[in-house]
Amino acid sequence: MTPPRLRVVPVAESGAFYAAAEKIYPREISGRFSRMRQGAVIALLGLFYGMPWLDWQGHQALLFDLPARKFHIFSLTLWPQDFLYLALLLIIAALSLFFFTALAGRLWCGYACPQTVWTELFVWIEQWTEGTRSRRMKLDRGPWTVEKVLRKSLKQLLWIALAAWTGFTFVGYFTPIRTLGAAITGLSLGPWSTFWVFLYGLATYGNAGFLREQVCKYMCPYARFQSAMFDKDTLIISYDEARGEPRGPRRRGTDARTAGLGDCIDCTLCVQVCPTGIDIRKGLQYECIACGECIDACDDVMDKMGSPRGLIRYTTEHALHGKATRVLRPRVLVYSALLLLAGGVLLYSLFTRMPLILDVIRDRNALYREVRGDRVENIFALKVINLDDRPHSYLLSAEGMQGLELIAPVAPIVVAAGSVSNIPARLDAPTSRAAGVHRIALSLTAVDAPGIHVHEKTRFIGPTP
Amino acid sequence: MALSPPPPHEAPRRPSSLDIALVVWPSFLAACVASLLFFATVDPELLRDAGPRLLAGLDREAGYALGFLFFWAIGALASTLSVYLIRTDRPQKRGAGRGAS
Repeated sequence: MTPPRLRVVPVAESGAFYAAAEKIYPREISGRFSRMRQGAVIALLGLFYGMPWLDWQGHQALLFDLPARKFHIFSLTLWPQDFLYLALLLIIAALSLFFFTALAGRLWCGYACPQTVWTELFVWIEQWTEGTRSRRMKLDRGPWTVEKVLRKSLKQLLWIALAAWTGFTFVGYFTPIRTLGAAITGLSLGPWSTFWVFLYGLATYGNAGFLREQVCKYMCPYARFQSAMFDKDTLIISYDEARGEPRGPRRRGTDARTAGLGDCIDCTLCVQVCPTGIDIRKGLQYECIACGECIDACDDVMDKMGSPRGLIRYTTEHALHGKATRVLRPRVLVYSALLLLAGGVLLYSLFTRMPLILDVIRDRNALYREVRGDRVENIFALKVINLDDRPHSYLLSAEGMQGLELIAPVAPIVVAAGSVSNIPARLDAPTSRAAGVHRIALSLTAVDAPGIHVHEKTRFIGPTP
Repeated sequence: MALSPPPPHEAPRRPSSLDIALVVWPSFLAACVASLLFFATVDPELLRDAGPRLLAGLDREAGYALGFLFFWAIGALASTLSVYLIRTDRPQKRGAGRGAS
């Protein structure tokens, strides 16, 4: 027995870089993987459309308030100063993508990518308004009858409404969605919000309604480099060539082996259901988004033919060659170690995050000033940022040189929740000890919560010795 | 060396929809990343206050949108040049360069 080969087939076998796209009519199918995909679509889109309406302690639970430059994530409020978390989050997202790709192939493409998810939703509308695959093809070939106009108009109407709602929801993550809704119904939406609603709505309509699989084929960088994360133990969707070939039609009940045939009856259902229009039997191709529709289609046929399922199945290259598949291999271990590390750093820094920032800027007008005959005074501009979601009063203290005294402010500094307070501070020290430059530190401690405490280094400058 | 006219099948052609996609799409992705990184650290109001009079009266939302469009335009310029240079290159002989199929 010759081992089955996995071939990678270029976009167009003619060698052309770009072939005019033929419209693909994905055939409807039900089965294990279709149900999983539907579940993913409902869960992810439910989250996307529902999340902005969820309130939490008097504000929108998830609001990236760009006009105010504050991100609200439930009880947590992030400021531009918290850029580290965003960077860590992006690193974690990239590492997760690598990890899951190495382990289980293109899970992202098949189940979670917004392109797939919204395309699925748009295809549902198409199926509902224009019917099954064969009816859609007939409708497109046929003349413009009243029925065709009605069906096509209804589809477009629903698509446009859905795209508009999507754009509205998207902007609702950045502007409070209830205010946004009121602005739209009151026709008082600002020009930039209108611009973003239209841009996102248009992108949804174009990508999910028209471009569809072409986004994956021609526009997606991940589709091109994902193979770098693949190895022979990565889960792929593959046709079992050894079992299926030679393919050919036969009567039900014919014994394939005595007829000199493999298990593939060449019904081409696997091609008809494919949303990217490829033939999985030609081997692993980068257009395959690993949605599993062809598995469902083929399993159905195998059930009807009385053959075991799995002629097309999730497998690995090693398994196809009759070798053992290793799940824990260096690549997976390295990705998971990095993922754990980045996740650990994120969690640690979130839990130890100090909800207080003190910026100390020395007065630019005078280095120092002699006061009361025998003392030297320095003036600082303090910026106290209360990142907490409740107000606090803070006490300032200074240390780091002998005779250093805090003149103002001695009363607690009161800062409202999520606010900034600018306060001048005056320190002085005896002239006899103040000559030169001294390293000092200012500390700020919340009166009601001693755990909230920051320490900021600065300099105290006296006369040149 | 005399320049020979390009063979008819390689005559200058109009930009295809793929060319447009190759310009618009990567620059869009780059603009998203650039806006994210840039505006996470720079407040558009600071830019307005430091910038020319032309910008006066714009709020943060306008700043984000104009910044995004600016990054997109710059990215599109780079992509246009890349596509133009690739498309107008002398056709390589098949198998002449390394990596050619």
